[in-house]
Amino acid sequence: MDIIKEYGFIIIFFIMPVIFVIQPLFLPMIEEKKNQLSVDGLKRKKLLIYRQIKELEMDHDIGNINESDYKLSREALKQDVSEIITKLNSL
Amino acid sequence: MTPIAGSVALNLAFGFSILTVLTLFLYNKNGDERLFLTGQRLALGISFFVFLATFILAYQLVQSNFDIDYVARYTSLETPVVYKISALWAGQSGSLLFWLFILSIYTTIVILQNQQKHNSLMPWVIITLAIVQMFFLVLTNYVTNPFKPTDADFIVSNGNGLNPLLQNVTMAIHPPTLYLGYVGFSVPFGFAISAMINRDTSPLWIQSIRRWSLVAWLFLSIGIILGGWWAYRELGWGGYWAWDPVENASFMPWLTATAFVHSIIIQEKKDMLRVWNMVLIIITFTLCIFGTFLTRSGVMSSVHSFTGSSLGPIFLTFVFSIMIVSFGMMYFRRNDLRSTKKMESFTSRESGFLFNNMIFVVMCFAVFWGTLFPVFSEAIRGTKITVGPPFFNQINIPIGLILLALTGIGPLLAWRKTGKKILIRNFTFPIITGLIVAILLLIIGLRGAVVISFSLGAFVTATITTEFTRGIQARRKKFNESIITALIKMVSKNRSRYGGYVVHLGIVFMFVGFTGHAFDQEKEFSLKVGESNHVAGYNFKLIQMSETERPNHYAWISDLRVTNDEGKFVTNLHPEKRIYFHRNPDPNRRQPHSELDIYTTMNRDIYSIFSGVDSENSVAFIKIMVNPLVQWVWLGGYILVFGTIVALWPRKDQ
Repeated sequence: MDIIKEYGFIIIFFIMPVIFVIQPLFLPMIEEKKNQLSVDGLKRKKLLIYRQIKELEMDHDIGNINESDYKLSREALKQDVSEIITKLNSL
Repeated sequence: MTPIAGSVALNLAFGFSILTVLTLFLYNKNGDERLFLTGQRLALGISFFVFLATFILAYQLVQSNFDIDYVARYTSLETPVVYKISALWAGQSGSLLFWLFILSIYTTIVILQNQQKHNSLMPWVIITLAIVQMFFLVLTNYVTNPFKPTDADFIVSNGNGLNPLLQNVTMAIHPPTLYLGYVGFSVPFGFAISAMINRDTSPLWIQSIRRWSLVAWLFLSIGIILGGWWAYRELGWGGYWAWDPVENASFMPWLTATAFVHSIIIQEKKDMLRVWNMVLIIITFTLCIFGTFLTRSGVMSSVHSFTGSSLGPIFLTFVFSIMIVSFGMMYFRRNDLRSTKKMESFTSRESGFLFNNMIFVVMCFAVFWGTLFPVFSEAIRGTKITVGPPFFNQINIPIGLILLALTGIGPLLAWRKTGKKILIRNFTFPIITGLIVAILLLIIGLRGAVVISFSLGAFVTATITTEFTRGIQARRKKFNESIITALIKMVSKNRSRYGGYVVHLGIVFMFVGFTGHAFDQEKEFSLKVGESNHVAGYNFKLIQMSETERPNHYAWISDLRVTNDEGKFVTNLHPEKRIYFHRNPDPNRRQPHSELDIYTTMNRDIYSIFSGVDSENSVAFIKIMVNPLVQWVWLGGYILVFGTIVALWPRKDQ
C-alpha cells in the first residue's frame, strides 16, 4: 500500500508535469501566427489612439489646452489612426 | 507529504528553470513554435513545484513538525494556527521561499494572460522571470534551505515559537503585501528587458506594464502603510516611521516606482522619456532585490556579519549583475531608445512630470545614502557612524513639501505648453486657497514647515476640487447631465486620471497626518490603584489592575479611566504587560511585551503603554502619548488605495 502511495505521489507530482512539458515537442510543426499578431497589435494601437483623442477632447472641454494646440494634436492623432486603418485594410 | 518532497520540489523547480531558459534561447534562434510552447510549460512547471514546496512547508508548520529546523525555530505547540502559517515568512529561508512563491504566482499570471498577446516579447519576458526564479532557487536549494532537518543529536519537544511582536494580524498581512509589491516589479522589468532586446519601442508594451506597475505600486504602498500601522500599534514608541533600514528598504523602490508610474504616462501619450523610463524600472527592480538583500544579509548590523554570511555576497553579486546587464543593454540599444520628440515648454505637463520624477529620484538617493552610510563608514574607516531620523527629516521634509506642491501644480498644466491665460485661470483659486490657510495659521501662532505643509495641502485639495468641478461642468454643458451622472461618467471614462487625483488627495491627508507629529506630547509616570496623573489636557486614573493567564502568555491588565480637564469622561484604556512563553522553565526564554491601548479620534490619539509592573506593591508604570492627527495618515492610506483601484479598474474595451 505504501509503495502505491509513493508511486502515486511520483506520478502526480513528477511524471505528469514532465508529460505536460514535453507534449508540445511531439506536435506537428505549428504555423507562425505573425499575420494575426500584427492585426491584433494594430487593433490595440488603434484603440489606444482613440482613447488619446477622447482624453484630448476632455482636456479641451475643461479648458486645459488652447485651441491651436488642440487642433494640431487632434489632427496628428487622426492621421495616426487613419494610417493604422489603412494598414489593417491591407492585411 | 514528507518534508523530503519539499526539497525535491525545489530541486525540480531549479532544474526546470535551467531548461526554461535553454529552451527559450533555442526558440529565439530557430523560431520553432513548439519550443516556445515547451518553454512556456516549463516555466509553469517551475511555478508548480514552487507552489508544491511552499504548501508542504506551510503544512509542516501547521503540523508542528519539529524535525524541520525552520519549523522548530519559528513555531511552538502553543502558536495559534494563523501565526503558524505566517511563520512561513518570519525567518530567512521561509521568506526567500515566499518571495519565490509570489514570483511564481506572477509568472503564471503573465504567461496565462499573454498567451495570445506580445508574442515577440514573451520569450524574453519568461527568460528574465525564470532567471530571477533561478536565483532564488539557488538560495533556497543550496544556501538557506527551508527544509533543512533539525540537528540529529537531540529531539525537539517544543519549538522556539514566533516572536510575540509578529503575533499580530497586521504583521500576518504586512509582509505578503510588501512582497506582492516588491516581486510585482519583476514583471515590468521583464517586459523592459524584452523590449530592449526586441528593439520594441511601441507604446503597446508600455500600456501593458502600466497596469502591472500600478498593481505592484499599490501593494508596495499598502505594505508600507501596514508596516507603519503595525509599528504604531505594536512597537510602543508612539510613531509609525523611524527611518530604519528595513523601512527604507521598502521606501526606496516605492519612490522610484512612483516616478515610473508617472513618467510612463508621458511615453504612452507622447512617446518621450524612453531612456528615463528604462532607467527607472531597472533601478526600481534592482532596489526591490537590494531591499531584500538589506533585510536578509545582515549587512546593516555589521559589515563583518555580511562578509561572514554566504547569503550577502551572493545577493550583492546578483544586484550588480542586474545593473551591469540592464545598463549594458541600454547602452547597446541607445539609438532605439532615443526619442524623436522633445519638451517644448517649461510650463507643460511633460515638464511637470519630469521635474516631479527628478525630485523622487533625489529623495531616493538621499534615503539610500542615509541608509547605507553606516555600512560605508564601517567599511572605509572601521567605525560605524549611524545617521538617525534627524538627518532623514532634515533632508526629506523640504523635498517632500516640494513633491506635495508638484502634486498640485502638475494636473493644472496643459500638455505641450500652458498659455498665460490658462495658467492664470487654473492657478488663481488654488493659490488663493493656500494663501488664506497660511494666513489663518500664522494668525493663530503657527510657524515654519507646519504652515507650509498645511497650506500646500489646501492648495493641492483646491486643485483637485477644481479639476473635478471643471470636468463635471464640461460634461453637463455638453451632455446636459445631472451632477451625479456627470461625475460618475466622467470618472468611469477617465479612470486613470481621476483615480490619480483621488490618490493625490490621499497623499494630502497623509501629509496632514505627518504634520501632526510636530504637536506630539508624552509623559511617563507610575500609578497605584486610585492614583491619577495629567497629560496634555487629560487626567488618567488607575481604576484597577488585574492578572490573567492566556494560552501563549501571562498578562497584567491596567484599567485607566481618562477624563478631560472639565472632568468629563473620555474613555477607558486597558494597556497590558505580557510575558510570552511564561511556562518555559528557562526564564531567559520568556519574553516580556507591552500591549498598547489607543483611543483614536480624527483630532488626536491617546496612546497608552503599560511599560512595567511592580506586582508586589501593585504599581503600574505607564507611558502616555497624545499624538494629534495620526488618523489622517491611515485615512489617507484608504483614500490612496481607493484611488489606485479606480485607476486600475478595467474598462469595457480591455
